[in-house]
Amino acid sequence: MKLSFSPEDELFREEVATWLQDNLTGEFEKLKYRGGPGDEHMFPDERKVWEQKLAEGGWTCVGWPREYGGRGCSIEQQVIFFEEYARAGAPGRVGHIGEGLAGPTIIAFGTAEQKKKYLPGIVAGTELWCQGYSEPGAGSDLANVKTKARFDESRGKWLINGQKVWTSLAHESDFCFVIARTDPESVAHKGLGFFLIGMDQPGIEVRPIEQITGTSEFNEVFFDEAYCDADDIVGAPGDGWKVAMGLLGFERGVSTLGQQMQFQNELDEVVRQARSNGAAGDPVIRQRIARAHAELKIMRYNSMRMLSGQSASDGALQKEALIYKLFWATWHRSLGELAMDVLGPECEILEGAPYALSRLQSMYLFVRSDTIYGGTNQIQRNIIAERGLGMPREPKGTAK
Amino acid sequence: MDFTFTEDQLLFQESVRDFLVNEVTPERIRAGWETDSGRDPALWQQLAELGLTGITVPEAHGGLGMTALDFVLLAQECGYVALPEPLVHTALVAVPMLTELGGELAAHWLPQIAAGEATVVVGLERNLVVEDAHIADLLLLQRGDELVAATAEQVVLQHSESIDPSRKLYTVEVAAAAPTVASGSQSAALLSAAQDRGALGCAAQALGLAQRMIDLTVQYTSERQQFGKPIGSFQAVKHHMANIAVRLEYAKAPTHRAAYALAVGQERAAQAVSHAKLVACEAANLAAKNCHQAHGAMGYTWEVDLHIFMKKAWALANTWGDAGFHKSRVAESIFAPGAALGAGATFA
Repeated sequence: MKLSFSPEDELFREEVATWLQDNLTGEFEKLKYRGGPGDEHMFPDERKVWEQKLAEGGWTCVGWPREYGGRGCSIEQQVIFFEEYARAGAPGRVGHIGEGLAGPTIIAFGTAEQKKKYLPGIVAGTELWCQGYSEPGAGSDLANVKTKARFDESRGKWLINGQKVWTSLAHESDFCFVIARTDPESVAHKGLGFFLIGMDQPGIEVRPIEQITGTSEFNEVFFDEAYCDADDIVGAPGDGWKVAMGLLGFERGVSTLGQQMQFQNELDEVVRQARSNGAAGDPVIRQRIARAHAELKIMRYNSMRMLSGQSASDGALQKEALIYKLFWATWHRSLGELAMDVLGPECEILEGAPYALSRLQSMYLFVRSDTIYGGTNQIQRNIIAERGLGMPREPKGTAK
Repeated sequence: MDFTFTEDQLLFQESVRDFLVNEVTPERIRAGWETDSGRDPALWQQLAELGLTGITVPEAHGGLGMTALDFVLLAQECGYVALPEPLVHTALVAVPMLTELGGELAAHWLPQIAAGEATVVVGLERNLVVEDAHIADLLLLQRGDELVAATAEQVVLQHSESIDPSRKLYTVEVAAAAPTVASGSQSAALLSAAQDRGALGCAAQALGLAQRMIDLTVQYTSERQQFGKPIGSFQAVKHHMANIAVRLEYAKAPTHRAAYALAVGQERAAQAVSHAKLVACEAANLAAKNCHQAHGAMGYTWEVDLHIFMKKAWALANTWGDAGFHKSRVAESIFAPGAALGAGATFA
């Protein structure tokens, strides 16, 4: 065990910090501390340009291998990159679904052609991705997807029909990865395929969903004879579930560190408010802030523990990965409540019309979705108990 | 940066676990409740032969010369079996204090501790009572700002029953003249280090206790049937257990991080220890509550072993600094002027 960074890593830290200081200026100045979950509606166009600025500096996909256009950074360097990115207040990444989910999945499961076709656009920050998993009838029961994919021999294309929902950033995206049923007779986890689909086509309609924040960052996506090429399926027909679950593993990997940095900024804002309005003098508030701070540190220690050494295959650390979602979502929801209690009577007063929420108000509302999306707290607990603790499985009903 | 343990450290943990699980059974613990001393000299001798009583004793004094970081995983295993013997106290509190005192005191007592021939305990005023004073050959006692060293002959003990029948607690009166061995800033530093090490010991044992309660309850709820199914298949029962698993898994990293901070003498080790003590004891307390609930009425009986571990968890939560003490230390570090928070301060 060695809980410190090497001199080389500290030099790297300086390099990242300097680059951000030199480049997060001018037209990008207003993007500071904007974007990210709950704030995705802010400056999407400017943030797309920022993606390309990052790419020019070689700061997209820092953890990817060099052969795929990444920077080949060590885990330590990735940690440092995310720390400095947050410290600089650099904006929430609109490219994170491509960089953190689609790209790693294609690297792990894709063909040489798929890598050549899709990875460069992600690295360059020019092609954005969204994730087509949930459906109206496939929420907690994700394997119950009904969207169908059939291969049209005459056109040599896959044709997709169905509906996805809660698709974050679909309205800003160039591509979507979609799980769809390749075997129409199949049920549950079997008979699914994992498709890479271009969003700019007549067969796809994106309808924004208005959230309790009054803003929209996720959507309904309708597929009506939408198509993709014959070789835009990752893995074989029937392998979709395996690929989709492999992807969720990436979601709990290094990308968690970026999320924690955003949490840190929010917590810093809460502490700043508490100091300025005197709430920090209230012992109960102080203890709640202390707890929030301590638990955020826990998340960071654990991410680093999970990522360090070669122990990722260790059973205990797999269990660690199972519990991450439940922990952070619950933590974040409590942070929203804490923020409102720190603000006191001010908390209900908006910045203006129409429904202009402050950063903390927006956070307070948005965190209500954290314990639901990506697997509700209740589903997470089932998974922890059954896979982590080995408790008896609950009998499942039969899909109709 | 590396947040993992070495293969040697993990192997040592495994072998100690095997030994303890075989030797320190619930039956043996219950047998100890029926004896006057509650302690088992034969077991202590076995621990000494494994090198455990002297694990943190410097090699020059016949020990293994290991650190809190080497010992923390073993302390978890002591918690897992609810070991009544004062091994964690010896390795984490008494031996480091004697080592820092040095001189004649260290030269005389440390080799005997390593050999399992003597027991030394430390008493801090915050703890109200002194654990295992009845078997101590030497007691290092806080008396205001000073530290005195009293032999067994120089003290008068008054026994207090603990909620955990395995814990032996005493109010200690120093009857005869006992020498002051440290005062002023030296004493303050020794006492504060002892406080931190004691708290780390509680945290590590709490992790083991929580794991044991989970294991007992997973087994129980997989066997116990109601409505024609094992009760562990019901979500209402599962979710109780999953909530503990989350708390426990996430209490490990702060505890290991605190052991590291103490082992390498980091400046802000005290905050790391407080963090660890808080979350580890919370995990164990939640385990006690939820495992009891999952056991139903059986968990309320003296016969079922669960309470052996529950009661130790409850006791440890409020010793070596209660939750309020440790929370306020964490809060102070956050609100201190110029506190190192946020990105870049993960290991500050």
